[in-house]
Amino acid sequence: MKINSLLHPPPVFVEFGPGWLRAQRGLERVELPLECAPSGRLTGLGKEKIIAALKDFNQARNWQPRARAWCAISSRGVSVRRLSLPNGNKEEFHQRLLLQIEAEFPLPPGELAWGCLPLNQPQPANGAAGKQELLVAAVKKDGLAEYHEILQAAGLEPVFILAAMARRQLCAPPTGSFALLDIGTTQSELTIFENALPAASRILFWDGRNASQPEAADLNALAQGIKGIQGLEAGLNGTKLFVSGNGIAREFTERLTQSLGNGCQCERLEAGPVDSGSAALAGLAKFASPGAAPGLTIRLEPGGSNGSATRWAAWDWKKWGARAGALVAAALILPYAEALLLTPHLQRTVAAFKTEAKRLEMIDRELDFLRNLKLSQPPYVDLLYVFSQSAPPGTRFDSLSLNSHGEVSLRAAFHDGQQVADFRNQLITSGFFTNVVVEEQAPTPDRQRVTVRMSALEKPAPQLQLASAMLAMADRNKAATKAASPPPARKESP
Amino acid sequence: MTPRLLNDREKKTVRIAGIGVAIYLVLFGGYEAWQHFDQKRREYRALADEARDLRQQTLPYQEKVLVVKKLMDEFHLDPARLKRDTVVSDASAAIQKAAKAGGLQLGSIRETPAHSAGKTLASVQLEGSGPAPAVLSFLAGLNIIGYPLVVDSVQFTADNRPGQVKMNLIILILDFDQQQEAGHA
Repeated sequence: MKINSLLHPPPVFVEFGPGWLRAQRGLERVELPLECAPSGRLTGLGKEKIIAALKDFNQARNWQPRARAWCAISSRGVSVRRLSLPNGNKEEFHQRLLLQIEAEFPLPPGELAWGCLPLNQPQPANGAAGKQELLVAAVKKDGLAEYHEILQAAGLEPVFILAAMARRQLCAPPTGSFALLDIGTTQSELTIFENALPAASRILFWDGRNASQPEAADLNALAQGIKGIQGLEAGLNGTKLFVSGNGIAREFTERLTQSLGNGCQCERLEAGPVDSGSAALAGLAKFASPGAAPGLTIRLEPGGSNGSATRWAAWDWKKWGARAGALVAAALILPYAEALLLTPHLQRTVAAFKTEAKRLEMIDRELDFLRNLKLSQPPYVDLLYVFSQSAPPGTRFDSLSLNSHGEVSLRAAFHDGQQVADFRNQLITSGFFTNVVVEEQAPTPDRQRVTVRMSALEKPAPQLQLASAMLAMADRNKAATKAASPPPARKESP
Repeated sequence: MTPRLLNDREKKTVRIAGIGVAIYLVLFGGYEAWQHFDQKRREYRALADEARDLRQQTLPYQEKVLVVKKLMDEFHLDPARLKRDTVVSDASAAIQKAAKAGGLQLGSIRETPAHSAGKTLASVQLEGSGPAPAVLSFLAGLNIIGYPLVVDSVQFTADNRPGQVKMNLIILILDFDQQQEAGHA
């Protein structure tokens, strides 16, 4: 969550008014004056002050991406038109739109900052291309370009929206026709909405400093001003008029309703649970919530054909050049710095390895010695086991000799010659012995037994190991078979 | 006597000469510094290579150590702790103790020092008698009494007493130090 907030800095909400700028970031708020020259353009010094103040307010880190700045602009100088264009491919449609804008607006599209909002899905009829209804809002580019420049320099990425569209977000389900009146200290803004879309907007010059004290405010003058707007008086009759502004009380709206006297119902626009001090800022905050997006944004370069050129122009070559230079310098210096810094550590490591290497020789010797000891162990116990398994019952061993050279000799007494032959065969088939020789076989004086002197050689070590393994396996199988077979049934005596 | 003031041409000459000297010093000093640091870096690289080689040498020993440990556990023996001067007497005592513990009756015992060139320290000839199972247990347990013993020969003969066996063993005591020296050679 923290990483996400670092990579996506919270948005900033900005409202531009006549001679001032309000910015809000979370719960922090700032209002800054806009210093204008007699020509109406911002002064250079004023711009620098605003940029410095906004930078301080934004507190963006250099490595972070720019925060989105949702900007509400007043409707002063903004023209709104409904256009209807035949549908076509993207390029054709854009060309037609530019031509239409040139025809409808007093300035050519190149001198305008504008945006459009599609109002319907084009439906083709009788083989002809369908018509696309659009709502287009345009304003002279120069003023907006200054705002854009200021915000960019302060590390923000501005998106411009009509302040009236932002305030509309605060109205409960905005459908049908209604009007919004925002009371300012020197001038107020009246916007008529039809089908929830701005149809017309006018600026009223009325002293709104006493708006919080309705008894002191000249509401009749305001009502006369509203009713005197040519072309809008019919649109206001019987509609609802939402009033916003700093310190507007319920009494204000009641008295304004009376003053208007044309059936228009005035209602205070609630800014929401958190008092942002501005209905426009409160409305902008709603656009920033997930899934919400303003339908109509005003852009300096709506065609986007030279967007990349603009981005390159806005690129901070000095800053990024310094960073690239620092990276190159670091890449060149690091190998030398590594040598200087890590040599003592590496020397210690090598010394430790060399000490360890002496111990390794000892490990080698121990391993050789223990392996030699293991290989030198004759398998006497296995051989004795083979003898015990091979000898028939009643055999008597007089002597048995084994040595580490693999020589075996024995003297034993068997019942007859057949047992001697069987014994010899058993020794050979065990896999342990080779060259099994009966050196002497002679009957005893009483002819009851046969005494035998035998010799044999053990097989080489690898074959002995194999024979031992086979012997162990055979024993295990024998034990398993014995455990599985049922005990013999006892015969019952008659 | 006051020194003569330099005219503009001389001042320019001095300035250019100063700049030239400064450039020379910077270049020469820079080259010297670069040489110094480059030499350090080459030494560091050589040291790193040596460390890597040593590390490569030690890698196989992880397996060898495991094998040594297993064999030491199997024989109950640590060769490095054997003392050449006392190993024969200690081994002989351990053999006799194991025989008595197994219920064998010992007869004559003869120790013979080994030849100088051999890998054995001494051989022990041992006579004894006892029940057949005890004799076999003794024989099987000789390699785990904690000394490097190899039974060179074994001879069993029948005893007059029923169930009893006479035995005659020749046991070799191996010399770890001798093997070390052979390994060195």
